[in-house]
Amino acid sequence: MKSDNLNNDKENKMPQEETPNGRNYWRSLDELTGAPEFKQWLDREFPEGASEINGVDRRQFMKIMAASFALAGVGLAGCRQQTVNVLPYSKQPERIVPGVPIYYTSSMPSAKDNIPLLVETHDARPTKIEGNPSYLAYNGATDTFSQASILNLYDPDRAQRSMDNDKGKALSKAEVLDLFTYINHQFSETQGEGLAVLAEPSSSPTRARLVNEFKKKFPKAVWAEYDPTVDNSAEKVLGRFFQYSDPLADKMPDDFIRPQYHFENAKRILAIDSDFLHSEPGQLGNSRAFANARRVHTTKDASKMNRLYAVESNFTLTGGMADHRLRLPASHATAFTHLVAAEIFELAGWDSAVVDALRQKGSGLTVDHKWIKECARDLYDYRKQSLIIAGDDMPEDIHFLVMLMNNLLSAEGETVSYSKLPSDQAISIKELADLIKKGTIGTLVVLGGNPVYNAPADLNWPKLQKSINRVTHLSYYFNETSKLANEHIAANHYLESWGDGRAYDGTYVPVQPMILPLFDGFTELELLAKVLGLKDAEPYGLVRETFESMNPNISIEEWLGLGVLKNSEFPYVSFKISRSQVENFVERAETISVPQLSEDNLEVRLVLSNQVLDGRYNNNGWLQELPDPLTKLTWDNAISISPRLAKELTQKTGLPIVPKASLMNELGQLEHDANSFLRGKEQAFVAELTVNGKTVKGPLHVQPGLADYTLVIPVGYGRTVTGNVGSGTGFDAYPLSIGSINTPLVGARLKISDEIYELANTQEHWSMEGRAILRESTADDYAHNPDFVNKMGVESHSPAIYGTAKNDSLQKKVTEIPRGGSLYKTPDFTGAQQWGMSIDLNTCTGCNACVVACQSENNIPIIGKDQVLRGREMHWIRMDRYFSSNDNNTMEIPEDPQVSFMSMLCQHCELAPCETVCPVNATVHDESGLNVMAYNRCVGTRYCANNCPYKVRRFNFFDWNKREIDHFYEGPMGPSGMPELHKMQKNPNVTVRMRGVMEKCTFCVQRIEAAKINQRVKAKDSPDVMVPDGAIKTACQQVCPTESIVFGDVADANTRVSKLKGLDMNYSVLGYLNTRPRTTYLAKLRNPNPLMPDYYPLPNTRSEYEKRYGHGVPHEAEVSHN
Amino acid sequence: MAELTISEKIKAVNPAILPSIEPSKMPRRVLVEHDRDFRWITHKICNIVEEPTPRWWWVCFIVSILVASFTFVGLTYLVSTGVGVWGLANPVNWGWAIVNFVFWIGIGHAGTLISAILCLLKQQWRTSINRSAEAMTIFAVMCAGLFPLFHVGRVWFAWWLFPLPNANSIWPNFKSPLEWDVFAVSTYFTVSCLFWYMGMIPDLATIRDRAKAVWRKYFYGVLAMGWRNSNRHWQNYEMAYLLLAGLSTPLVLSVHTVVSFDFAVSLVPGWHTTIFPPYFVAGAIFSGFAMVLSLMLPLRAVYNLHDLVTQRHIDNMCKIILATGSMVGYGYAMEFFIAWYSASPYEGFTFINRAFGQYSWAYYIMITCNVISPQLFWSKWIRNNTTLVWIIVAFVNVGMWFERFVIVVTSLANDFLPSSWGYYSPTIVDIFTFFGTFGFFSALFLLFIRFLPLMPIGEIKAVIPQADPHRGHH
Repeated sequence: MKSDNLNNDKENKMPQEETPNGRNYWRSLDELTGAPEFKQWLDREFPEGASEINGVDRRQFMKIMAASFALAGVGLAGCRQQTVNVLPYSKQPERIVPGVPIYYTSSMPSAKDNIPLLVETHDARPTKIEGNPSYLAYNGATDTFSQASILNLYDPDRAQRSMDNDKGKALSKAEVLDLFTYINHQFSETQGEGLAVLAEPSSSPTRARLVNEFKKKFPKAVWAEYDPTVDNSAEKVLGRFFQYSDPLADKMPDDFIRPQYHFENAKRILAIDSDFLHSEPGQLGNSRAFANARRVHTTKDASKMNRLYAVESNFTLTGGMADHRLRLPASHATAFTHLVAAEIFELAGWDSAVVDALRQKGSGLTVDHKWIKECARDLYDYRKQSLIIAGDDMPEDIHFLVMLMNNLLSAEGETVSYSKLPSDQAISIKELADLIKKGTIGTLVVLGGNPVYNAPADLNWPKLQKSINRVTHLSYYFNETSKLANEHIAANHYLESWGDGRAYDGTYVPVQPMILPLFDGFTELELLAKVLGLKDAEPYGLVRETFESMNPNISIEEWLGLGVLKNSEFPYVSFKISRSQVENFVERAETISVPQLSEDNLEVRLVLSNQVLDGRYNNNGWLQELPDPLTKLTWDNAISISPRLAKELTQKTGLPIVPKASLMNELGQLEHDANSFLRGKEQAFVAELTVNGKTVKGPLHVQPGLADYTLVIPVGYGRTVTGNVGSGTGFDAYPLSIGSINTPLVGARLKISDEIYELANTQEHWSMEGRAILRESTADDYAHNPDFVNKMGVESHSPAIYGTAKNDSLQKKVTEIPRGGSLYKTPDFTGAQQWGMSIDLNTCTGCNACVVACQSENNIPIIGKDQVLRGREMHWIRMDRYFSSNDNNTMEIPEDPQVSFMSMLCQHCELAPCETVCPVNATVHDESGLNVMAYNRCVGTRYCANNCPYKVRRFNFFDWNKREIDHFYEGPMGPSGMPELHKMQKNPNVTVRMRGVMEKCTFCVQRIEAAKINQRVKAKDSPDVMVPDGAIKTACQQVCPTESIVFGDVADANTRVSKLKGLDMNYSVLGYLNTRPRTTYLAKLRNPNPLMPDYYPLPNTRSEYEKRYGHGVPHEAEVSHN
Repeated sequence: MAELTISEKIKAVNPAILPSIEPSKMPRRVLVEHDRDFRWITHKICNIVEEPTPRWWWVCFIVSILVASFTFVGLTYLVSTGVGVWGLANPVNWGWAIVNFVFWIGIGHAGTLISAILCLLKQQWRTSINRSAEAMTIFAVMCAGLFPLFHVGRVWFAWWLFPLPNANSIWPNFKSPLEWDVFAVSTYFTVSCLFWYMGMIPDLATIRDRAKAVWRKYFYGVLAMGWRNSNRHWQNYEMAYLLLAGLSTPLVLSVHTVVSFDFAVSLVPGWHTTIFPPYFVAGAIFSGFAMVLSLMLPLRAVYNLHDLVTQRHIDNMCKIILATGSMVGYGYAMEFFIAWYSASPYEGFTFINRAFGQYSWAYYIMITCNVISPQLFWSKWIRNNTTLVWIIVAFVNVGMWFERFVIVVTSLANDFLPSSWGYYSPTIVDIFTFFGTFGFFSALFLLFIRFLPLMPIGEIKAVIPQADPHRGHH
């Protein structure tokens, strides 16, 4: 399926002649499609046909697939003229070893940041996506979306053929190409008059090249770009400043200036509504660098730990990592930034004219000025080591001020650099809409995207689109836009396509196909080339041309092998700020209005969903079932409201939006869950939200940590034209959007009905109840009490678990397993290597990437909303989220909580409680310390799951893999069998589990075994069979951007994991149970500033523990009650 | 019984002293009232089997079969579709199935206790109730056995729990309490069946001898195994009975002890408790006697067995219920004390949560039924009122089901990590499957009444005065 396989396979050509007397095999897809039944199948009404593959029997499917597999050996990509039958290899092709996966580089196409990838393929079928470690900035990390994107490749609901909607018939590949050639002919003479293209922004230089040619060839045509996930305002404002010295000029600069942050150098960071660790482009590099500056291994490091101030309206993961977090409505952010700027300017010695002007502008804001003052002072004290960062979606003024402040903090070149990249030079969708209204557009080609669904509602895009004569939509799914288009062209998945792109810093990366297109799809580049009338419209050639135009010093094969082109980053530029520019800015800006928010004047923020993004992953089951890191909701979005607002609404309406206290945590202390749960299912009141005359209706979810009167709604749900997985999930919030989804909307009102909607929330309880599960401290406290983790928990009071062996080395403990005074025989761990894991809670941001990576690696099924509501989610690794309040009051839902994340997976206890209780020996220990599950032996008593104190065992209550989500309860009467496409994604090295068996994390035993085999092959006759440290990476470890998860051999004192386990912050969760987990955690530290008004001497969870079960909070460490 | 003897000398000196120092006879209530003779007893008991099938029997039997079909349908659905049709989920992986198992096993305790322990203790009042209590035991154990068998995910592999040599050469895990359960319950079932059947042989012979229809002669003839009522037969019988009683006695204690190990051996707060074995055994006897009374009181009324199941029997059983109910109450209190005394936050929370948390309703049902209602048996008036007794023992049965519910579900629903806390509720399939076992139990019991001797004829005859012509004097 690979380029180099494509051409030089002469020796392996399959027989092509039809045997005269044999069966009549169809020789080509065309011949097959000539068959009347196939025609009938194609002609059936769309979109039912979209899911037709479900109904296709296995033989039929295998026929089609066999054709594409076989073709890989003989033809060029996209060429399907010859068909041969699949036969076993008569001669083994080079480099293909059955059972050994092959990895190819690629990257995930994106507007700003093509994440470099390494794709695992088994027999030419991609099964798992990993980050490309050759790209050092990300070091092999990826995010949830790229992990899950592989599932889209095998989605039976993807568009499988192009459609002419007007005639209601399928378009053949040739017809589609004709269509675009026709566009070329039609507009060549008129210079593109009346032609418009609406594309998604892309980082691809090849596409940029084609767009330039398009503009040259069709000067009167319109090139517009729209993607709700992309906001260029920072880059634009800096570009204008760079080019015109005027950030507020109303011009599109030739170049964009992109700030590149160096968090590894930043000791003090202020994030203004910026989720730089999670949802903003470049977040992988940011997370990695941030974690490196935050990692504390010894008391010496504690003073070097970075400090993060976050100011935000939503509760993001960046806010979760913050040492000081200020809840501020997004509509107040501009005023806030002015106030911070005033402080910084003052500290930098600017005169009072500027300082006062800035202060005056922000004067409408009522926040604790001490917070701002001390924060600014801290940043200024750490000049050259401090950084201010604003969210991509913040207004341009803020970006300009932030740039000025960073300049005053001498940040440039230290914690931030500015790189220059070509601007997109595309008009916005709003400008395009104006042109359509004028009636100048006759033909619109929409390349990707889904504007009918996600264009700003004030444009009324569906109506505009319908007013155009001819709309052709290239799209991976048949979606809302496709439905209203004249033609829908099926797009290829990026794993089936040639392309290229740039990482956030500009590094040039390829997009390389792993497999021939499964269906008759097209790539954007192919169609653009057709429109341009290029002779060679073959995408590989186009990419090659671009590559060569960069004058690289390596060959294209080397580039594809490495996956990145070194030294191809965007060039850095530097700024000089003159006093007059600042004065101009200060004078020009008017006094900032600060809307007074209240229950009757709410602020609404539409945010991209952490699961389905803008809706493009709506039909991706892994993402739909991935619990949101903060809300823990799956399969739905909700209107998140603050506890304060919930209380007020409860009082006003009498409806229990804040639930009645139900749980007594100690005698006399009744406590609430944050949200109402009835029999374990979240009961959400449905509310109508009206703002600017637009109304949406959705369930309310109480979310601690929001600004009091800010409502947060993730978009991307409530799709009307989507696949089986996504249909019926959530509600559509786009109708509220004006101009851009990023603009905060003020003036909203909520009307609450007593209708209840059930939300599938995977974590019902918000508090850790003062238990010493997730152990936290401050950097300061840790410096004075390095062994604080050992003074926490029941084990600090009970006799030492290891008895007399308690001071033995880790290596001795894991190999000899001291009884510790127990009468019970302990297992023998005779393996030369003993596996263990260390998880650093201090650097984990809670991004969920490990959850999806694990799902992808280990064939973990999805089970649907109904089963999640019942509490049967199957994730082998889960992200536990605990809120804690600063007054240690667990009886009330905290308004301003701290959040702590803990990834919880099988702990591989040395003395595993699950093993002793299994009556059939289905879960046992292997000699290298793994707690293994023998699925074949499991009868499913579930006793192990009950006895697991970590609750990480997962049971197959139904045949999740064999039955469909909506048909679990139909048993044998329901449809059976996994869709053939889904089968292709499965990792062949991991068993697909049947119903009735228990499953759980295996420490990726398949990877361990592969590494062992590899090492033995390498060692040959030498005794060097020990797998070297770092050779095995579990799926969760591999994906982790902050490298919080480290796996390795604990019997060897020199491995990374052994060293981490030797640190004084290392502890076992529930260690007092004498389970002796092989997975241990490094405690979490926070780094508060003692001068801040919201200073806390100990983190909330810790002071809660000390008060309830510990030794009490020391007097001098009394928690402030602000 | 040692008798007070007064020397002739004293009698002669002061005859008046006699009435003042000789204790008055405290006559115990006889075990068979109205001075019934052997023939009456034989006739009374055999007649139940021999009379034409009464209409009420058919009505009850058909209703029972219908109800039992719920279990059948429920289990068929379960096996064909998956354990997911029940309400189980993480973190509560054991729900009604295990609750029902422990409930039925508990009920199955009274039979063997009455037959074996009371036999060894020479409690003669056991005679008129032991046969039906044993039958109840066997049927209850059958109902109980269904649940752990079918609650597993892959029931077709449940035989792997037995230590059978198989191609995989894998033995069961003898460390697992569930494995102990397999042995404990199967042993208990086997021994109870043997004990029950062996005790019935002389009575089956009696029915055989009285049988007129040919099929009856053969049916009972085969069952009676050639019993000829000879002295040697009786001698062997008595010895075997005593041996089986001796064998069964430890089983009465061990079965529920082992069942309690399912919980006590685990480390779940609320399960991991050393008090469980005695407290489970007490609870089992408590519920077992409650079930005996629930069955015997209607039977007594229907078949006019007042002379055989006398107020003395009822009194005795009520007192046992009172005693074991108080022990169970003590157990509840002690759990709280230990949870506090352990100073473990996890244990402490579990018990506070039981009483005040999301399942507190179940806890209060349990306390009301198990601790408060048996205390009414202090009153003789209540013990004499069979309607009230029947109502109270019904409460006890309900309460004991809830006790198991509270133990199984509340402990699992809120254990160590608050992130995993959840709520368990049964589905309609759970409910119907459990409900159906009552039909299954009733159908078996009705068959027993209809075809087998309800009471041990020979043993009852042995406790009437006529059996002892010397009246205790030799």
